[in-house]
Amino acid sequence: MKTWLLVALASAAAAAGVPADEPAPADKPAVCPMLNQRILGPRSDERPLPLLAGSAARGFRPACSVLWGTLSPNNQPLKIVDCFRGSLLQVANDAACGPDTGPLWVSARWVITTADKQQPASRTATCQQLETSALAATRELALDCVPKKRPPAEAATPATPAAAAPHP
Amino acid sequence: MAGTTGGAASAAGKPRAARSSMFRAVLHSLLLASVALFFLNFNLFGTASASKRFSQDLVYAWFGNEAWLYPRVPPVPPGAAQHAAPPRVVVVMIDEEALALRAARWPVPVEFHAQFLAELEVLRPRAILLDFLLIDAAARQDTCDLLTVASRLRHNGIALYLAVTTPADLEPMDAAACRDASGAVIHPAQVFTPVSVQRQVDGSDFVSRRYPFEQRTATAAAGSGVVSAAVRMYCDAVSAPAACVARLTRARTADAGFELAWSPEGDPFNQRWSHASCIETASPVRAILNQPALPRESPCPPVATLFAAALLDPQADPALGADNQDLFKLADGSFLLVGGNFRGSGDLITTPMHTLLPGVYYHAAALENLLAFDGRPKVRKEFRTPNIGFYAYDLLVLWVLAAIFQWRQAWVQRVHPGDHSPFELSAAARAWLAPLIARCPTPIWIIATAVLLLLLSTYKSLQLIAVAVTVASLVAVELRVAPTAEVRERIRGLQVYLTTMALSLLVIIVAIWVGYRWLRLPPGDWLGYFSFVAFGFFVARTAILEFGRRVDELYVARTTGGGRQ
Repeated sequence: MKTWLLVALASAAAAAGVPADEPAPADKPAVCPMLNQRILGPRSDERPLPLLAGSAARGFRPACSVLWGTLSPNNQPLKIVDCFRGSLLQVANDAACGPDTGPLWVSARWVITTADKQQPASRTATCQQLETSALAATRELALDCVPKKRPPAEAATPATPAAAAPHP
Repeated sequence: MAGTTGGAASAAGKPRAARSSMFRAVLHSLLLASVALFFLNFNLFGTASASKRFSQDLVYAWFGNEAWLYPRVPPVPPGAAQHAAPPRVVVVMIDEEALALRAARWPVPVEFHAQFLAELEVLRPRAILLDFLLIDAAARQDTCDLLTVASRLRHNGIALYLAVTTPADLEPMDAAACRDASGAVIHPAQVFTPVSVQRQVDGSDFVSRRYPFEQRTATAAAGSGVVSAAVRMYCDAVSAPAACVARLTRARTADAGFELAWSPEGDPFNQRWSHASCIETASPVRAILNQPALPRESPCPPVATLFAAALLDPQADPALGADNQDLFKLADGSFLLVGGNFRGSGDLITTPMHTLLPGVYYHAAALENLLAFDGRPKVRKEFRTPNIGFYAYDLLVLWVLAAIFQWRQAWVQRVHPGDHSPFELSAAARAWLAPLIARCPTPIWIIATAVLLLLLSTYKSLQLIAVAVTVASLVAVELRVAPTAEVRERIRGLQVYLTTMALSLLVIIVAIWVGYRWLRLPPGDWLGYFSFVAFGFFVARTAILEFGRRVDELYVARTTGGGRQ
């Protein structure tokens, strides 16, 4: 009985002392293929880039809007440090909006990455649907609207519209 | 000499009698028209209103794409410069997918709005409406982020509008006492223009056809309320905003609104995301062959729509251009109306095409109407001042129609005294048909007729066939039994009937066009006019004119001392 109690206590102590592994960012390879790549420049030179501060855990907030020249004074490609859902890129510059902002993020919408250069131009769009609660479950897809095949990890997100109720 | 004098008196009396007869006919047609006007506006249980609204919906359903009816800002063709065209109205739709792209969830947090405004700034729009009520408590930092971004946009010349229920909705943001880089307090009223997003629906069918000018109580003075979003956005874009708002809101009742012209065709831009086709190809024959004339609109909305997810994630819509050229072409200098598209939020409107769309389209359609009609949208008679003038216009139109009807009836009476309609069976045909039917016992033929009509009521596809067979049969009977002279007279009568119907239709079209184009009335009266021309005058005539004639005869007898009763 005493031996059993000692073993149990020792196991509990060992378990408490060893930190659990951080949840693996399982979706990172799937939704952030741009890691280890670089931002080459803005998609449109004359428009400012809106930068965000914060993180996915604490929430993002607007930091400032700057021209590419401020983000990369020497017009050098910027390393992508982190990525959120493939659309928000953390850049290797945390001072463009002044001190104390922390790491800065920019939307992939406004910048060109090395990944963009590697991908051929595509006319593929994600078909969207208005939530009117009265749309048919099956409608013909127009030829111009080609449903994009999402990676399995992302396809399970609730943002994908499910079939609606049949048309009355 | 006496004979000569008598002949002159007789000759002078003929024009006088003709004038008197003409005068009486004019008066009788006025009586008929005023009865028609009363019945067209006899709104027991809202029945008249439903008929007018349906007439209006049909016009927009079948002609809403035509520039002569609804001169919308045309979509910018590929390759054309946006600045050359008038400003566009673009809906930006936030949904769960967009929120997830920024690690946010419904209800849309203030910090998301702050980020999103910063993203929209890149598009360089003319103005942005946030169709969200920011009435939930928010952290001070989030409020300050929103006000800071909004202040920057305002400084860069982008007008910002925020949906409110009352101006007091801005007070919590004011209490945050946020400061800009120079240390000055940012007041929300300095950066956001509060606007009303209240909706109006028609009580008869709950369709949102009307857009309010302002939101105020019935006791408050006109122009003292919170101006509606589309009205404020339009007026701020013209050279004299205050005068524009005053012109649109003055001398109106609290429930007044303008009519929304609506196009059944989707905006071509939406084809990039829409599952449904944005080009309607329905034929008007559908409406005739017992097919439903409404709804015609597809789920592809008539206003260009950019999903927020496509803006935030280039993978969602890479076709917006490697340099975002399609995106900038759409949004540069446009009015951006940011709304929500969330399952179960209940923010839906029933459009005049009788389909459901998220609520932000209500404001987008209203703004498009104001732009299309140069700030002079269509307003119903009941919301006009003085409205009796517009009803007098109705009376005038009906008077002309009644005069045409009277002329036709006079012609029919001259040829066939006692006949009222060219479609009535001749005496010979009646005399031939009655014995034929009389071969069956009365209960049999009545029950057979009832069963036949029951079947026709149940199976609507049979109705058109039944009408065609009946008309052909009756024509065959008339041709067989009626004398040749009578058949010839009937054909002439039919020609006169069709001519007067065509003339009446022309009068109706001109009247509706004058009312629409110059009096700014919605096209809701044509069905009433037409039904009176086709059927209503027949009914009203027997009831009213015969009585009127009898009264007239009594009056003449009394004044001439004849004493005929």
